[in-house]
Amino acid sequence: MSALKQGIASPLRLFTKTSPLMPLVIRNFHASSCLCRLQLLSRVRCVDNSAIGKQAMAEGKPPKIIHVYNKKRRATIGDKVLMTVKGEMKKGIIVGVKEHQKHGIPRSDTNNVVLIDDNGTPLGTRINAPIPMILRGIMKEKTIAKGADYTKILSIASRFV
Amino acid sequence: MKVGLCAYSAFKIYPGHGKTLVRTDGKVFTFLNGKCERSHLMKRNPRKVTWTVYYRRKHKKGLEEEQQKRRTRRTHKFQRAIVGASLSEIQAKRNMKPEVRKAQRDQAIRAAKEQKKATKAVKKAATAPKSAPKVEKAKQKIQKPQQKAAPRVGGKR
Repeated sequence: MSALKQGIASPLRLFTKTSPLMPLVIRNFHASSCLCRLQLLSRVRCVDNSAIGKQAMAEGKPPKIIHVYNKKRRATIGDKVLMTVKGEMKKGIIVGVKEHQKHGIPRSDTNNVVLIDDNGTPLGTRINAPIPMILRGIMKEKTIAKGADYTKILSIASRFV
Repeated sequence: MKVGLCAYSAFKIYPGHGKTLVRTDGKVFTFLNGKCERSHLMKRNPRKVTWTVYYRRKHKKGLEEEQQKRRTRRTHKFQRAIVGASLSEIQAKRNMKPEVRKAQRDQAIRAAKEQKKATKAVKKAATAPKSAPKVEKAKQKIQKPQQKAAPRVGGKR
């Protein structure tokens, strides 16, 4: 039986990734998850009821990320982000991501953002979309580290998931 | 720990399994596995997909059939008091024996007959002496309504 298997396997070896004969045929491909993350020039959906955010979404020109406050410059849930909204530069915190998440963290159909100012106070008064519970922990950590209070977002959230 | 239900197949989701999706309109879906998630995203109706619980419920697969047949609705009869008669009166009338009822009826018939006789006699007395004075007639006439107002014996006819 093992001899048979080896016999069958040998012709297929010609077509593996490592084989010199067919280097371009890839049997196993792997989509790297960091490519699905939010980065420079990603368009993002504003989810609070701030005036600028509403106008931008209504016009069809959603905020565009121009900087991610992160070592890797790739943003996920809880990362602070600099965006252009209607010609102005505003900071925001990412609140929902389309990327496949780890266990326990919900995935949303759109990349959601809540606009804040430098101190962490949100520009809007209410968040319409459900927010992941994990943000509680993340925002607490960030608050201690930077001195600005980022947990104010959680107080305007209407629903947690 | 809390055991959730899959939004697509309605299977139980034990802790450590499953994936949640938050849709743009705010609705939250929890899926047991990738199969359920993919089916949902493909917009397949779970009521048409054979292996889901929704399909089985809709097409009545399994043991639920027997339980449904046993349940039958029964209307309950109520005895209520009406404006004209209280509950005790109604019950007394209902529980009256047929002999008693018959006796009441006979009594009523007798009373009615006697009344008729009396009225006839009064009429005769009134019509016979035509030349009688008006005062007597008036008196007799007055008597008539009094006699007619005899009390009824027994219940309703």
